Amino acid sequence: MAEKVGTRLGPSTLLQPALPRGSGPAAMKREFRDRAELENYLRASFAYLASDPDGLSPIRGGRDSALKALAAVEPGRYERTRNHLDGAVSRLSMYIRHGVLTLPEAMRAALTKVRRPREAYKFVQELAWRDYWQRLYEHLGAGVWEDREESKTGIRAEELNADLPEEVLEGRSGLACMDAFVGELRATGYLHNHARMWFAAWVVHWLRVRWQAGARFYLEHLLDGDPASNNLSWQWVASTFSHKPYYFNRENLERYTSGRFCRNCARRNDCPFEGSYETLAERLFGPETVR
Amino acid sequence: MSTVVWMHEDAVNGTLLGRGPAVFVFDEDYLRREGYTLKRVGFLYECLLELPVEIRKGEAVEQILAFAAEHDADEVVMQASPNPWIRGVGAALERVLKVRRMVPEPFVELGGQPDLKRFSRYWARVESRLPIG
Repeated sequence: MAEKVGTRLGPSTLLQPALPRGSGPAAMKREFRDRAELENYLRASFAYLASDPDGLSPIRGGRDSALKALAAVEPGRYERTRNHLDGAVSRLSMYIRHGVLTLPEAMRAALTKVRRPREAYKFVQELAWRDYWQRLYEHLGAGVWEDREESKTGIRAEELNADLPEEVLEGRSGLACMDAFVGELRATGYLHNHARMWFAAWVVHWLRVRWQAGARFYLEHLLDGDPASNNLSWQWVASTFSHKPYYFNRENLERYTSGRFCRNCARRNDCPFEGSYETLAERLFGPETVR
Repeated sequence: MSTVVWMHEDAVNGTLLGRGPAVFVFDEDYLRREGYTLKRVGFLYECLLELPVEIRKGEAVEQILAFAAEHDADEVVMQASPNPWIRGVGAALERVLKVRRMVPEPFVELGGQPDLKRFSRYWARVESRLPIG
């Protein structure tokens, strides 16, 4: 049976003494001159990583980096601006994913930064999403890979493509926004939540690819990739874990990106996201769909 | 006899480190199956480098058992996890050693499981128990 344990964690420097040296063929190195040496070592240690076309993320792992990110959190600005790609998002997810930071710890830190607890409401609610997904994971286990409910799009899973097209995986679709999202994801292992949603909606509803293929792509690259949060969010977009599909239009994407992608997009006059929500719903799902 | 700590990818922190020597195992079969890119493995590795934990590669159960034997341990402490692979490793260890699964501090204390059908139902139950009123 599981037992409870306190998790007030100190700075990592408190834990520095008595680092094990490692011994035997299975022990891995702990000392590196720089990140380039670490990258080379990992490529040499794991055969399947030798030909990984992408390098390390510029986002560093470790509790020191996590505490810096936590210190920078601004709950009030987060609430007002988080949906914009330039908004004051926290970038704590990858540390929380691996337990480097805990949810209670992040909540306590946020509450020390506001005059009234209500100012941290949205930030705390977003932490609650992580708690929610993990509770569901307890129940579902590997079931997070299966449709939770029937799709509300009227399109059957058998009608969808099993795989993501190569040009999408390589950021060569010709859509400036989507190609930029793939580029950022592959270079950094991070993507703003709104970009994740737009990309997921494009993959599932426009390209008609099964959500599992997109979920797998995210899990390969996202530093915060977690099967529960990730797959159930894809299912929320696909409408197998929500009462209607999530989709967007160009106006929405332009608003929350300040139009940066559309300005020079090769397909700016032939944008698949152009149109009202009603027009797009009819085009994507047909006239009888749940909106 | 003594205790060793198995640190896994859901709990890369110092919480359990006072209980005995700790090991983290990069299991290549698992990493490959999950499709973890270099970015993900590197990020985890950097997290581990700040902690006094022995980093190993190999088959997870085999390596944890070997680590326990090297430390004359008859008990493994780990953080509980919903990840099926982590649970499977814990179950396999249990065939040989005593396994203690520790539950981290909860985000919110609830008596019993909330309705998880939709986030809105969960939130309706949870909101008033959080210090944000």
